[in-house]
Amino acid sequence: MTYRIITRTEKNRGRRRFLGFLLYINKRKNTDFRRAKILFLLFKQNKKTPILYFFFRSIADSNPIMLTVSVKWQKEVFKSVEIDTSQPPYVFKCQLYDLTGVPPERQKIMVKGGLLKDDADWSTVGVKQGQKLMMMGTADEVVKAPEKGPVFMEDLPEEEQVASLGHSAGLFNLGNTCYMNSTVQCLHSVPELKSSLVKYSHSGRSNDLDQTSHMLTVATRDLFNELDKSVKPVAPMQFWMVLRKKYPQFSQLHNGVFMQQDAEECWTQLLYTLSQSLRSPGSSVNVDTVKDLFGIELASRIHCQESGEESSETESTYSLKCHISQEVNHLHEGLKHGLKSELEKASPALGRSAIYFKESRINGLPRYLTIQFVRFFWKRESNQKAKILRKVDYPLELDVYDLCSDELRKQLEGPRQILRDEEGKKLGLKANEKSSSSKDGDVKMTDAEGSSNAGGESSVAASQEGVPAGKETCLTGIYDLVAVLTHKGRSADSGHYVAWVKQENGKWIEFDDDNPIPQREEDIVKLSGGGDWHMAYICMYKARTVSM
Amino acid sequence: MSDPKNDAGTSQPKAPAKDPKKKEEEDLSEEDLALKQQLELYVERVQDSDPGLQKVALESMRHEIRTSTSSMTSVPKPLKFLRPHYGTLKAFYETMPDSDLKKYLSDILSVLALTMSAEGERESLKYRLLGSEGDIGSWGHEYVRNLAGEISQEYIKRQSEEAPIEDLMELVQQIVSFHMKHNAEPEAVDLLMEVEDLDLLVEHVDKTNFKRTCLYLTSAARYLPGPDDMLVLDIAYTIYLKFEEFASALQIALSLDNMQHVRQVFTSCDNLLKKMQFCYILARHGITFELDDEMVADDDDREALQDIINNTKLSESYLTLARDIEVMEPKSPEDIYKAHLLDGRASAGASVDSARQNLAATFVNAFVNAGFGQDKLMTAPADSSIGGSTGNWLFKNKEHGKTSAAASLGMILLWDVDSGLAQIDKYFHSNDNHVIAGALLGVGIVNCGVKNDCDPALALLSEYISKEDSSVRIGAIMGLGIAYAGAQNEQIRSSLTPILNDAKAPLDVIAFTAISLGLIYVGSCNEEVAQAIIFALMDRSESELGEPLTRLLPLALGLLYLGKQESVEATAEVSKTFNEKIRKYCDMTLLSCAYAGTGNVLKVQNLLGHCAQHLEKGETHQGPAVLGIAMVAMAEELGLEMSIRSLEHLLQYGEQNIRRAVPLALGLLCISNPKVNVMDTLSRLSHDSDSEVAMAAVISLGLIGAGTNNARIAGMLRNLSSYYYKDASLLFCVRIAQGLVHLGKGLLTLNPYHSDRFLLSPTALAGLVTMLHACLDMKAMVLGKYHYILYFIVLAMQPRMLMTVDENLKPLSVPVRVGQAVDVVGQAGRPKTITGFQTHSTPVLLAAGDRAELATEKYIPLSPILEGHVILKENPEYREDS
Repeated sequence: MTYRIITRTEKNRGRRRFLGFLLYINKRKNTDFRRAKILFLLFKQNKKTPILYFFFRSIADSNPIMLTVSVKWQKEVFKSVEIDTSQPPYVFKCQLYDLTGVPPERQKIMVKGGLLKDDADWSTVGVKQGQKLMMMGTADEVVKAPEKGPVFMEDLPEEEQVASLGHSAGLFNLGNTCYMNSTVQCLHSVPELKSSLVKYSHSGRSNDLDQTSHMLTVATRDLFNELDKSVKPVAPMQFWMVLRKKYPQFSQLHNGVFMQQDAEECWTQLLYTLSQSLRSPGSSVNVDTVKDLFGIELASRIHCQESGEESSETESTYSLKCHISQEVNHLHEGLKHGLKSELEKASPALGRSAIYFKESRINGLPRYLTIQFVRFFWKRESNQKAKILRKVDYPLELDVYDLCSDELRKQLEGPRQILRDEEGKKLGLKANEKSSSSKDGDVKMTDAEGSSNAGGESSVAASQEGVPAGKETCLTGIYDLVAVLTHKGRSADSGHYVAWVKQENGKWIEFDDDNPIPQREEDIVKLSGGGDWHMAYICMYKARTVSM
Repeated sequence: MSDPKNDAGTSQPKAPAKDPKKKEEEDLSEEDLALKQQLELYVERVQDSDPGLQKVALESMRHEIRTSTSSMTSVPKPLKFLRPHYGTLKAFYETMPDSDLKKYLSDILSVLALTMSAEGERESLKYRLLGSEGDIGSWGHEYVRNLAGEISQEYIKRQSEEAPIEDLMELVQQIVSFHMKHNAEPEAVDLLMEVEDLDLLVEHVDKTNFKRTCLYLTSAARYLPGPDDMLVLDIAYTIYLKFEEFASALQIALSLDNMQHVRQVFTSCDNLLKKMQFCYILARHGITFELDDEMVADDDDREALQDIINNTKLSESYLTLARDIEVMEPKSPEDIYKAHLLDGRASAGASVDSARQNLAATFVNAFVNAGFGQDKLMTAPADSSIGGSTGNWLFKNKEHGKTSAAASLGMILLWDVDSGLAQIDKYFHSNDNHVIAGALLGVGIVNCGVKNDCDPALALLSEYISKEDSSVRIGAIMGLGIAYAGAQNEQIRSSLTPILNDAKAPLDVIAFTAISLGLIYVGSCNEEVAQAIIFALMDRSESELGEPLTRLLPLALGLLYLGKQESVEATAEVSKTFNEKIRKYCDMTLLSCAYAGTGNVLKVQNLLGHCAQHLEKGETHQGPAVLGIAMVAMAEELGLEMSIRSLEHLLQYGEQNIRRAVPLALGLLCISNPKVNVMDTLSRLSHDSDSEVAMAAVISLGLIGAGTNNARIAGMLRNLSSYYYKDASLLFCVRIAQGLVHLGKGLLTLNPYHSDRFLLSPTALAGLVTMLHACLDMKAMVLGKYHYILYFIVLAMQPRMLMTVDENLKPLSVPVRVGQAVDVVGQAGRPKTITGFQTHSTPVLLAAGDRAELATEKYIPLSPILEGHVILKENPEYREDS
């Protein structure tokens, strides 16, 4: 046996990765080619460059039949590749490995009627001189399935499908219960309420709470929970029963069917119950979650023109009323209207009843500002709550600064400034310039409107100092619309209530009972009335806060 | 001359009443009055006993008639004035002895009979035959035309009496030659068709009129029944060959599906360039054709020509077109969905993959990037951080979804066999059977319409068809069907037919085997394959016959006889012995396939009749019947319009199973041709309360807009995607339709008709029909686990381009006018063939109904129809304008 080792550098189009050693083993006829294959595999396993090739060639065979063929591989054509027909096709594949870098076991060589087998006999394959062969195969890595396959929505349990759905489930209408459904959907969108409900336990009932309130709270908690978990609409059976038990007015029947009710009443009553039950009993102070979230403090000045008497009082409420009269075209006007009232009461100075003017201002802002449009009034003639169809615009972003008391305004100055700065930054402007100029303007405006005492920068500085230090979220008096409860129809006890709720991902969903429908933000502000379309009845705004 | 005599002599109903005539006489101008009196004198003289005087009178009368400049709208004056004397002359004629004069008079009577002869009397012909047989044209066009009409009536009469017709034929000869010389080819053809002797035409056509003649023949063929149309086309073929208009002859040969004729075209032509053009036509038609040394002598030339037929370079020119139009940039499914235009309702940024939606994205990606060789999901480089790596996307599909994903690679690399196979290769080594199945199918898709000497598809796929796993088997079998559609490959037949009669093979494998065989032997009427499928059908158990997949078996049988008309009858008889569950279904499918693309009105009526019945429940044969209406009627424009109207009726009065098929039928009728009325109908149906109707309508919206990028359909589908955002199945259909509308980024068409709507590619139609039949049961097939059945439409996908190449087959940019095609059949002269055209430079896209013509004299196209690849030859007579 003689060995000849030929070294050459392979420069096949950038594929310089190996230095080919061609080892010609001159051997006798009847080479056991399997042995060669084993050898080949051995070298491959070592993965050491240079890779060794074994090219068998019988020189003992005095007259080997050589065929020249051209091999097409992808877009390349290798012309004049020699086939030694006395050797098995595997040898030919090794030759092609040298040319293409495709390992023999991944080569597929097309000959008439099939693939070239490793141990086929050339004479039966029928390759002719000068024939074109086609080789398929790549040295690419075999595609492997990722270890962790993707999770498909279709395979998920129901709860997880909710997350991908982007909104929670709808509520079945149990027969004129859309007022309740829409109320629940609106309140359900308040995460803080949800979390405090979760904390509420069966056993946590304090003694001063009556049984039905407790049951209603539990039912609310369970319902919220169920809404979060399911994709399909939920039937609020339990909740409804408890609600009717607690507030029998909702069980009013008309022709044997439960009547439509006023959503506002439902809203108020539910919040009231929750405010009773959700006082955390553990803490020493009377922490009222609902009040914390929704409570609005009003400071009112009562003034009697006749006697010149003046008194002031404070009160707490869960919603601001937007009164609708001929002059009111915008929510803001309505709110201002609602904060002024006239009342008749006994004047101690005059000794008789006199007309008093009451003027309220907001003294404490909640995290969720609820605004009720006073659209219904008792119409004696028709003996029903009639509806004012007047169009009252409301904004997506509400600023209640000018409804606040002076005291509160001072508190708000600082956070508002920060908010403006942040927004300025977001707009990519130079924060300083922008903020200073805008600040001046704003302050002047507040001076003019509120006739507040101090002017200019100093007051801002003062109020900023006044704010307790440390990271804390502060209200700014600016609110974003998060939920709208609308009514369609001509009276409060008829028609249809629907909740339009902004989801955490910023998308709006119209919850029409069991059917959640995605909506566009532009369309939300179009619910302002002035026709027979859905019109806003209760709006819920969420406070925009800054951390200081 | 007395009037009473006239009235007594004849009983002509046309003879005018006395009073108005008198009045008329008064109104006549002096000139006319003179003429009238002159003619009356002649009539009197004719009746004179003196032959000399008679002769002079006849001569003069004849002179008057001939010289009268006849206007088209009124009766010539001499004829008008002679009308009252027609009876007199006739009576006198009978009394005359035989002589030349009698023949003379006979001629004149023949002419007078033109206006006088009673309906059905055919006196003009009678006197003509008795007359002098002189030059027929000397009496004017109107006379000849009238004579032709009488001949055809007489011919029918004599045929029924089996009387001799020699004398008639002589006259026919004269008339035809007159018509052919005077721009009245349609009349000549009509006459010859009436007397059933079209062969006469060949000797009368000449260089100036053969094109118009053939055009009339080919368009008349569409409206002719049974064997007549073949005959007419055959004559057209002979005429084209006679005048060496080989490309047109080839087109006729193809429409006759006559390979002998195709061979003859090749052997008769000795111009290599022209042969190359023939090869391009054959390649577009999508048939398998082997050149031999008789057709092309030189080996190298033959190889080059065979390469063209094999579509080897199709991918290359398609990419040239894409580069020219600048649409190479790959598009992602999101680019197609355009969700940003639909605020609000758009799928809320789902964080979890939906298998159904990912599958839809796979198809959309495949359809949109078809043939471009690059996309953003499957071929994107593995290291790209955008997350488009191949492996990743593949495994974002679930189970059988992976099959479609792997196969989509084949669609993306369509026609590019070399790199296609290289890229698919890696999936062969996967350990997931679904992936392997997809890879096998992908190989088939890559090779669709492209033939290669090495037969890579056969070599690679054949060893998988007997594997254990049925999904792998289906992949390989379907791949073979797509790659060798129309090839009639014996080797594949021998390996596939055993599967059909294998008792152990699962139903789905058998169904796909049958379809593949049907595609490979499409329109071949192959007995053995037919038998194998029939046996397979008979072997099915009662319950298997109820399976939705079983419907593919009758369809496979039908495909064997696609467009072959009567040849189907034997098999149709056999099908009557099937289990009653499938019998009618089979009957309808066979009928509709056999007459597909024939425009046969009787068959349309037959199918409509089946649809009119109200069914007992459980029968499904009306679906294929409705599709059949579309398949038969799609042949020509008129029938197409009519069937759209009939389908509208079916929609209103039909049962639910008919309503479900109607949108699909509309989709087939207007495939890649977004007609506004059809679009509106489908848009309405896409909101139908029956979800299957809606699904079919949505898919059909995709089909009628396939490859057009039609903005209106795209908008409709976008709105539907938000309307159906919650209904996963319908949303899937909407996505598929969106993919179809943007098929090949708007460069492809699915229309099986090409070459000016004259030729029907059988494989393309077969692919479409298969896909549509699958859509008849959307839930079980497309929405189930056989969604890859959608890939059958690859058979119909063709670039809708005009690519002009020079003599070395390199792309050559020339200005062309592209406009709406105008029907110029039967018009004299050289009428404009397009209207509302715009001038572009090639390569250029052609929409449905568009026609192109060269806007330069510099080159001469070698194909009469500018579509697909056209070779341009320099015009030797061209002079550059200075």
